[in-house]
Amino acid sequence: MTADTKTRIDETVKASDVVLFMKGTKEMPQCGFSSRVAGVLNFMGVTYTDVNVLADEDIRQGIKDYSDWPTIPQLYVKGEFVGGCDIFTEMTLSGELDQLFDQKGVTYDKAAADKIREANA
Amino acid sequence: MGVEHEIREKLDAAFSPRLLSVTDESEQHRGHAGWREGGETHFRVEIASDDFAKLSRIERHRAVHRALGSDLVGRIHALALQIEA
Repeated sequence: MTADTKTRIDETVKASDVVLFMKGTKEMPQCGFSSRVAGVLNFMGVTYTDVNVLADEDIRQGIKDYSDWPTIPQLYVKGEFVGGCDIFTEMTLSGELDQLFDQKGVTYDKAAADKIREANA
Repeated sequence: MGVEHEIREKLDAAFSPRLLSVTDESEQHRGHAGWREGGETHFRVEIASDDFAKLSRIERHRAVHRALGSDLVGRIHALALQIEA
């Protein structure tokens, strides 16, 4: 990863409270795993920045080095790497995601989060 | 040697797991992004090992990624991980 790419990623993850690096966009995901994370964030009414790694090869490779994480999607909250699809799903279902959002001051629809848990209980 | 076997061997060697299940789920993703004829693109791994006890959730995943190696992880399209201590 070049210094320039690292700076771009750094600025991107710090520019918004919630940033999702994904394949495709939040309106049109192009991978099932990206789609799952974006779909939950959309449903929970979270304001977030989506970064389509398919549109930028430098970012697509660079983000893997940046987080020491080999797969996409990748979620960042307040500049901190949270995890990929598996961890995100676990945290959604366990309620840890709500806790994280509460701690970090991220606004979300609690009732929607509960609905997801009910549907998966 | 198939990919499923390769995953199993590497994880067995790295973590001496008390539970290890490796499933090739490629067929369920037929036609999806990353899928290709012949399968071996989408895997699900369930693993339980004492080695994970002191690691955070992210560190557990990283340990598994490292054990598999970037070559293998780069070759497959998807790896769903369920990791327990």
